[in-house]
Amino acid sequence: MVSKKAYESDYENQWCPGCGNFGILTAMKDALVGLGLAPEEVLVISGIGQAAKTPHFLKCNTFHGLHGRALAVATGAMLANHRMKILVNSGDGDCYGEGGNHFMHAIRRNLDVTLLVHNNKVYGLTKGQASPTADPGMVTRMQPQGVTSESFNPLAVAVSLGAGFVARGFAGNSDHLSKLIQAGMRHSGFSLIDILQPCVSFNTVNTYDWYKKRVYDLNAAGHRTDDFSAAITASREWGDKIPIGIFHQTEKPVFTDQMAALRNGPLIAQSYNPERLQDILSKDD
Amino acid sequence: MPIDISIKIGGEAGQGIQTVGHLLALACRQAGMYVMAVNDFESRIRGGHSFFQIRISDRPVQAPDHRIHLLVALDEKTVQIHAAELVSGGTILMEQKAGSVQGAAPVPFVELAGEAGARITSNTVAAGACLALLGAPFAIMKRILAGQFGGKSGEILEKNIKAAELGFAAVREMAFKWAFNWKEIRPRGVLMEGSKAVALGALAGDCRVGAFYPMSPATGIMTHLASLAGDCPVVVEQAEDEIAAVNIVIGAAFAGARAMTATSGGGFALMTEGLGLAAITETPIVIVNAQRPGPATGLPTRTAQADLHFAIRASQDEFPRFVFSPGTPEEAYAVTARAFNLSEKYQVPAIVLVDQYFNDSLFTVEHDLAAPREIERFIVGDKDIKDPAAYRRFAATPSGISPRALPCMGKALVVVSSDEHREDGHISETSTDRIHMVDKRQAKWPAMMAEMQPPRGYHEDGDCLLVGWGSTRGAIREAVDQLREGGLAAGSLHFTDLWPFPDSSVKSLLQKKKKIFMVEQNTTAQLGQLIRQQTGLNFSGAILKYDGRPFYPIEIVEGIQKKM
Repeated sequence: MVSKKAYESDYENQWCPGCGNFGILTAMKDALVGLGLAPEEVLVISGIGQAAKTPHFLKCNTFHGLHGRALAVATGAMLANHRMKILVNSGDGDCYGEGGNHFMHAIRRNLDVTLLVHNNKVYGLTKGQASPTADPGMVTRMQPQGVTSESFNPLAVAVSLGAGFVARGFAGNSDHLSKLIQAGMRHSGFSLIDILQPCVSFNTVNTYDWYKKRVYDLNAAGHRTDDFSAAITASREWGDKIPIGIFHQTEKPVFTDQMAALRNGPLIAQSYNPERLQDILSKDD
Repeated sequence: MPIDISIKIGGEAGQGIQTVGHLLALACRQAGMYVMAVNDFESRIRGGHSFFQIRISDRPVQAPDHRIHLLVALDEKTVQIHAAELVSGGTILMEQKAGSVQGAAPVPFVELAGEAGARITSNTVAAGACLALLGAPFAIMKRILAGQFGGKSGEILEKNIKAAELGFAAVREMAFKWAFNWKEIRPRGVLMEGSKAVALGALAGDCRVGAFYPMSPATGIMTHLASLAGDCPVVVEQAEDEIAAVNIVIGAAFAGARAMTATSGGGFALMTEGLGLAAITETPIVIVNAQRPGPATGLPTRTAQADLHFAIRASQDEFPRFVFSPGTPEEAYAVTARAFNLSEKYQVPAIVLVDQYFNDSLFTVEHDLAAPREIERFIVGDKDIKDPAAYRRFAATPSGISPRALPCMGKALVVVSSDEHREDGHISETSTDRIHMVDKRQAKWPAMMAEMQPPRGYHEDGDCLLVGWGSTRGAIREAVDQLREGGLAAGSLHFTDLWPFPDSSVKSLLQKKKKIFMVEQNTTAQLGQLIRQQTGLNFSGAILKYDGRPFYPIEIVEGIQKKM
């Protein structure tokens, strides 16, 4: 039995007091314990940003890489050892801005990872510029006239690309988020959990209170997770009412299950065979 | 009389020029000939002008020759562009009426192909005509065609055999001065493109993951690797861009699989941040940069050697890395495998520089390539670690190399960060940790330097030394032969191991030389600059070519003669 204590990192936390990330970290620990996974069985991969620092504050295997590139690193790690349990912590800037291309292609591949996007609508680590998910009109020091571009809708994009598991959580509801993470990790294939995360330092609009007044449990409201059109409709709901929960879930062939070379087990478990290589080398032209 | 014949087949992209060339190459090998061929083409799939130039000799040849004995013109442009390259007495086979072109004989390739039943076989007609001129028995042609088209329907093979027969018959009355006596003997070695040698070298380095984004002239490497993936535990994944490719490779290597990517200069530019990530996380990766002229898109299907300084310096800040550049397929096989081994041993990125000429040319690889008996891995597990729970990925050691465990393979937790970090992999901004980690990484240099092989000499006792690196090896050696025949005490030094620079061996090899001439495919003699930087020795002059085409030996010979 794994205890939550096993995941306690003795590395000093660097987030602002009251940050939405704390709720996400708690939900991650609860989910990993709930799944009965030990820290050494888990690899957390992240990019750059406040969200991407998460694995430092969690005891686990960690690859804290470049801005936007976490999913690419996860793709390679999966190819090498597809038996690993991989979580990716990313932010709205990291995943939907810098890493937008990798986000789309990880969905296309149906990589068996669970992607947690800490979505606070701002760039926290660089002090509050609007992110791709900021709502039009949001005023920041970089956007003094207000944001003019449309807000990026990650859920609608993921559903339309055919992602097998698409969900939204709220950092202010760790219990619900923990269950989403467990469901995402149990799902075989790509899981996106976009997480509404208040930023207490730079986002004065989308606060805990703002969200608490608006979020409702989509699944408790009778939403059908196997209905593509319903998922698209729900993903476009934003304003007075904001749905959280599982928007869409469907089973699809997993990236690494389709590769002939992986049928004999993970690449790293297969041994080098000099005779086989010599046969290839000795083939005539 | 020694045999040394060059045949150039020119036409539009899409006319099957390479097929003609390959048929000739395979056939000539049945007569025990050494074959070398270059592939010159534009960045387009149809039209334009391209050619395949094949050199056939009874002694090893490793560079293209400028003298053409037989020009096969599948279009009119080929005659206009290349007729002047024909040696005295040479022959032109051309589609259209001969007109006033000296040495030209019309062969209606397309019409004869139509007669054979498929106009698409006009290239086979041309191949048949060439082999007939060379004096080949038709049986050889037939056997080669069966090998090439045997997998297809009997009808396709029949039509090609018929096309070849018509080609043979079309030139029956013609004499070709350089026809030779075809004694069938067992061919020496195998024919191989440079790109295939790199892919095989990757397998010899136990590469398990290849990730790449298509880019000429690197694509061939990954196509070869992908074609072998069914027989070996290798996965080749086409990435969404070069940034993804290098990060996939880093992720795979972090998790324990040896991994590589191949690209050209523009893609390598995009991979530069990833190169730094591999460096600071001390993750071993191999990047092959198949050079082409730049900057930006430059000349996509042509050759260059202008990324040497880029490869050595790419990325912000400073860190150890290996840079190699092979000169022959045998060297490419060995060097690529070494790149994997050394990268893993020292936990640093390794870069292999090849180029379009090398990747797309066919070479005769005379001696069998040998698979290594075993692969030494530089990885630890819980059993090798005193207290796995206290494992620190970047623990200090005198060599700078920390024992490397893999994630999810034991109690040892592996924590790495692209931020500067402590020994346990967690972020640190303290002055002490920063200095500690930089010094740890830089401490690897001396041992890495000791791994580097000195440049290879050829008549290196000569007073006049031609110095080059990478794919120019064959052309330089042949230039040395010609210069020596002309009475000049010439020799050459050729580099495959470029960084860390083998300072002391280079200094001792060069310091007493009267004349040092750099031979490079860039405008500033990048290796020459590097030699000066690392040894203080100056070169006397440089033969530089940067038009995107490979060196002919004669260009080097004439360049040297002008400077002497």
